[in-house]
Amino acid sequence: MIPTLLVTSLLIFWAMDLAGGDPVNQILPENATYEQREILREQMGFNDPFMVRYFRYIGGILSGDMGKSYISGLDVFGTFMGRLHMTLLLGGSALIFACLISVPLGIYTALHQNTWKDTLATVLALFGVSMPNFWLGLMLILLFSLKLGWLPSGGTGGIQYLVLPAVTVGLSLAALLTRTTRSAMLDVIRQDYMTTAKAKGASYRRVIYNHGLRNAMIPIVTAVGMQFSYVMTGSALAETVFGWPGIGRLVVDSINKRDTPMVTGSIILCCVLMAIINLAVDIVYAFCDPRIKAQYSGRS
Amino acid sequence: MSKTRKTIILEGEEIEIYKGRSMAQETWRRLKRNKGAMIGIIFLVALMLATTVASFVYDYDKDIIAMSKDRFMPPSKDHILGTDNMGRDIFARVLYGAKYSLVISLGSTAIGLAVGLFLGALAGYYGGLIDNIVMRVTDIFYSIPYIMIAVVVVSMLGTSTMNLLLAMALGTFSNFARIGRASVMTVRDQEFIEAGRAIGLPTWKTIVKHVLPNCLSPIIVQTTLKVGSNIISASSLSFLGVGVTPPTPEWGAMLSDGRSYIRSSGWMCLFPGLAIMFTVLALNLLGDGLRDAMDPKLKR
Amino acid sequence: MRKAMTLLIVIILACTTVWAGATKEEGVAATTGTPKDTLVIGVAQEINEQNPMMQNDQINNNCFVLTHERLIFVDSNNGYLLSPELAESWEWKDDTHLVFHLFKTIKFNNGTPLTAADVAFTLNRARSNDPTKSKISGTLKLITDVSALDDYTVQITTSAFSNELIYNLGAYPLVIQSKAAYEDPANKAPWLVGTGPYRFKEWKEGQYVTYEKRDDYWNAAKEPSIASSITFRFLLEASQRVIALQNGEIDVCIDPPTTDLKFLKEDANITVHTQAGTRLFYLSFNVEKAPFDNQKLRQAVSCAIDKQTIVDIVLDGRGKWQTSVLNRGAWSFLDNDQVEGGYAYDVARAKALLAEAGYQPGQLTVELFSATDDPYKTIAPIVQANLKEIGINVVIKSMDQATLKTECANGHQQLFLWRWNIGARVDETYRELFYTNFPTNYAQLKDAYVDQMADKVLTEKDPEKRLQYSHELQNYFVELVPQVPLYVPDLVIAYKKGLKGAYLTGGGAHDWSRAYIEQ
Repeated sequence: MIPTLLVTSLLIFWAMDLAGGDPVNQILPENATYEQREILREQMGFNDPFMVRYFRYIGGILSGDMGKSYISGLDVFGTFMGRLHMTLLLGGSALIFACLISVPLGIYTALHQNTWKDTLATVLALFGVSMPNFWLGLMLILLFSLKLGWLPSGGTGGIQYLVLPAVTVGLSLAALLTRTTRSAMLDVIRQDYMTTAKAKGASYRRVIYNHGLRNAMIPIVTAVGMQFSYVMTGSALAETVFGWPGIGRLVVDSINKRDTPMVTGSIILCCVLMAIINLAVDIVYAFCDPRIKAQYSGRS
Repeated sequence: MSKTRKTIILEGEEIEIYKGRSMAQETWRRLKRNKGAMIGIIFLVALMLATTVASFVYDYDKDIIAMSKDRFMPPSKDHILGTDNMGRDIFARVLYGAKYSLVISLGSTAIGLAVGLFLGALAGYYGGLIDNIVMRVTDIFYSIPYIMIAVVVVSMLGTSTMNLLLAMALGTFSNFARIGRASVMTVRDQEFIEAGRAIGLPTWKTIVKHVLPNCLSPIIVQTTLKVGSNIISASSLSFLGVGVTPPTPEWGAMLSDGRSYIRSSGWMCLFPGLAIMFTVLALNLLGDGLRDAMDPKLKR
Repeated sequence: MRKAMTLLIVIILACTTVWAGATKEEGVAATTGTPKDTLVIGVAQEINEQNPMMQNDQINNNCFVLTHERLIFVDSNNGYLLSPELAESWEWKDDTHLVFHLFKTIKFNNGTPLTAADVAFTLNRARSNDPTKSKISGTLKLITDVSALDDYTVQITTSAFSNELIYNLGAYPLVIQSKAAYEDPANKAPWLVGTGPYRFKEWKEGQYVTYEKRDDYWNAAKEPSIASSITFRFLLEASQRVIALQNGEIDVCIDPPTTDLKFLKEDANITVHTQAGTRLFYLSFNVEKAPFDNQKLRQAVSCAIDKQTIVDIVLDGRGKWQTSVLNRGAWSFLDNDQVEGGYAYDVARAKALLAEAGYQPGQLTVELFSATDDPYKTIAPIVQANLKEIGINVVIKSMDQATLKTECANGHQQLFLWRWNIGARVDETYRELFYTNFPTNYAQLKDAYVDQMADKVLTEKDPEKRLQYSHELQNYFVELVPQVPLYVPDLVIAYKKGLKGAYLTGGGAHDWSRAYIEQ
C-alpha cells in the first residue's frame, strides 16, 4: 500500500513535470512581468531539481499539507474532501441501482437458461456493456431532459438531479453484473450439492436461494468490488457530461489546466480511497463466504 | 479432443502443429453454430470492407474535413446521417472514422498484449523479485481509475493519435500481465518444462513453445474483449478532449463536437455513438462466442 | 446468507442516504425556486480567487464589483467616461503627481471608515513584486509612491506622465481594501473586507458562490441594491445553462450557445440580450521564425483566411470580423472600412502573394498550435482548410492553454490561435502583445517603430495627436501582419423577462449589484 502510493505519486509527479506548461503561467496573470515571474519561481522552488521538489512534496504530505491548487489557490485535501461525497453519492447510487437490477435479472436468466427470456436479457446486457457510458448519458439527456422535460440535464440539487447520472453509470454496470451473476448462478446450479439438496427434498426455492445464491454470491461480490475502479472511471465521464461536481471531473479538469498539486494530490487520494474500498470488499467477503467467516470467528 | 492431447505428450512437436490446427478447427466448428458470434464476425467484416471502400471513395481533404454551406442538415436523402456544425457529411465521417477507432484500439491492445504477456511470463517464470516488481506495477494500474492515468499520460506526451494509442496500451498491459503470469505459474513446475530444461532448451523457447499455447484461449478471448473496451476508452478520452487532434473524424471526437449542439442537432451525437456501440457489440459477441467455443468445460 | 446481503445493502443505503441528505441541504440555497429578491446567475466558469489583487479574471471581477469599490468608475459603455466611485474628484497636479479626494462617509462592511491610509495601503501592496501579496504589480510599474496627504486625500507619484494610469486605477483588481483588516492577526481573510453593497457569504467549490446584501452600505446617493442575495452558479456546460434558465433554476444565463438561441427566443419568459463584444480572437505568427519571418507570406495567409465563414461557423454569425489588431470598441479602433489597404479575404491575391513570398503551392507545411477547447478546436480546422486552398499544408497541434502559453512565450510556435481582451487601455494591446521583449509578446515582434509609437500613444498629451498616432500604428500593423485578427464575438446574455438594473459590458465586466427581477 505505502510503496504503491510512493511509486504512484512519483510517477504522476514526474508525468506532470514532463508535461509542458510553465506553472508560473497558471499562477500569475498573463501579463505579469519577468521580474515577478522569477520571484515566484524562487518562492515556489520551481527552479530546484526534480527530486528536491518531489521530496519536499512528500514531506508536505507527511506533515499533513497536500499543497494548494495553482488555479484556485484552495487547499488540495479540502477540495478533494469537499467533492468526495458527491462522487460517493453518485457511485453508491449507481451501484445500488445496478445491483437491484442485475442480481435478480442474472438469477432469473440463469434459471431460465436458453429460453427466449434469457436470450432477450442476455442481448440487452450485451448492448449495455457495449455502450460508451458518456454517450448513454448524452442520449438520456436528449430524451428525458430535452424531448420530455422530465429531469434536469445537469447540475446538483435534489434527488431529481441524481437520477440521470446514476442511471448512466449504473446501467452499463448493471449489464456487466447481470452477466456475472448469470454465469455464477449457472456454475452453481451444475454443482453436485445442488442435486443433493434437491434429492433430499428441499423445496426448489430453498435450494436456489439458500444453497445456490449463497455460493454464487462470492464471484458476484468480487465483481462488484472489481468494478469500483470502473465506477470511478464511469463517474469521471458522467460527471463531465452532467456537470456533477465530483472528484472524477476535478481530476480531469485539473489535468487540463495543468494544476499539478491538485492532480497529484487527487490521484494519491483516489488510490487511498480505492484501497479502503477494497478493504471493505474483503470484509463483505467474510460475511458471504462461510469458510472465511469461520477463519475470523475461530469457531465451527 | 482428449485423444489429441495424449498424442502430444507422446510424440512431441510434429503432433503439436496438428493439435493446433485441430483446436482451431474444433473452435471454428463450434463458433459457426453460435449465432451471436457469426453476427459479430459478419458485422466486423462488413465494417472493415466498408471502411476500406470509404477510404477509396472519399477524399480526406474534400469529403472528410472540408467545410460546406450545408450546416446542421438533419438526416435526408443527400446526407443519410445528416451534416455537422461545419457542414460535413456525418455518414462519410463515421465510415472513415472507423479506421481510426479500429487502428487505435487494435494497436493499443497489441502493444498491451505483447508487453503484458512478456512481463507476466517473466514474473510467473522467475518469481521472486521480478514477480514482485511486475505485480506491484500492475497493482498501481489497478488501483487508479484507468481514465485518470490515460489523461495524465496523454497530457504528458501531447495530444496525438500515437500518444493516445500508447496511453491506452499502458492501461491494457496489466490485464495481460496477470493472465500471462497465472498461466506460466500453473505449468512452471510440470514435468514437460523440466524435461525441456533437461535437454537444454533455452528458457524463452520453453515458454514460447510450451507455455504460451497452453494459455492461448484466455488470451484470445481477452484480446477480443479488450479491443472492444479499448474502442470505448479511446472514444472516452477523445470525448474528454485528450484524444486526437481536430479535424480527425474519430468517433469520440465527433461526439464531443456534437455535444454542444445536442439540443438543436441531436443526430450529431446519435450516429457516432451508435457506430461505437455496434462495433463493440460485435466484438463482444465474438468474444463471448470464442469463450464458449474454447471452453473445455462446455465440450460435452 | 440473506443476512449478509441485507447487511451489505443496508450499509450502502445508509451511507448514501446520509450523503444525499447532506447534499440536499447544501443545494437548497442555490436551487429551491427563485424568490423575487434573490438573483441567480449561471456562469461558464468558476471563480478562482477571492483577493482582488491576486488575479485578473473577469469572472472574479464580476464578484469583486459586488463587495468592493474602485477609486473611480470607468464607463465602458459610454466611451470610457470617468465618474466618481470612492473618489469624489481627482486631478493631475503636474506631470508626475495625481491626487484623489475621497468621499468622507465611506464605511467598510465591518463598520470601520475608509480613509486615505487604506487607499495608500492597497495601492502600495498592489505594487509589491512579492507574488504572495500581489500578482498585478506589472501594470503599476509607473508608480513610484503612493501616500496619504490627509485622511481623505491620496497622492500618487509617477516616474512619467501616462494617459492610461487613471484607467489602470479604475481596474477591478485595484478595488480598495482595508488596511486595518490586514493588520489584524485574527482576520484570516482580510481581502473580504470591502466597501461594496454586498458581502461574501459562501463559496461552495464546484457549485456556487453567494453574496448577501449589506444594510449599512454607505452611498445613499447611488441607486439602492434590491436583491437580498446574488448567487453565481458554475454551470460549465453551455447547454445546461440554457436549460437551467428555462427551468427557472437561474435568472440569468451568461453566454448561451448560439445554436440554442432559437429555443430561448421562442420562450415568452426570456429575453435575449446582445451587444458588441470586445474580446478579439486571432491567428498569430511567430515573426522571428521561418517561414513566417517573411512579411509577404504573412500577408498571403491574411488574404487566405475567410473570416466571415469563421464567424458564421463558430458563432452562427453573432460576431464581427475585423482587420485592426486593436479590440473592437477600444478607443481609436479603426473599423474594416477605415484602415488603409489591408489584406482581406481574396484567394487569388493570396496565391499571388504566396508566389511573391517565394513559395510554390504545396511546398510549405506549417504547424498550428491550438488549444483543445472551444472555439479554438473549431477555428483550427477552418484555418487549415483555408490555407490548404492556397497550397499551405497545416498540421494542427492541440494542447491545453497552459502549455500553449508557455510554448508561445518560448517562441516554439509557427502559427497559433489566441485571444486578447482589453478595456479602456490600448496599451494592453500595443505594449503587452507587440512591445519588444514583453512576456506576452507571443508574436515575438521586435520592431523599433512599434515600440516608439506605443510609447507615444501612452504619453502624448494632445488628444488629436494621440489619436493620430494610434491610427498610424494600427495601419502599420495592417501592413506588417504580425497577426491576422479574426473576430470579436458579440456579448450574448439571456435572462428572465423583468430583469432590471444590470450593467452589462461587451468585455464581460458586468455589474450585477443593482440588478433584480421585477415581478
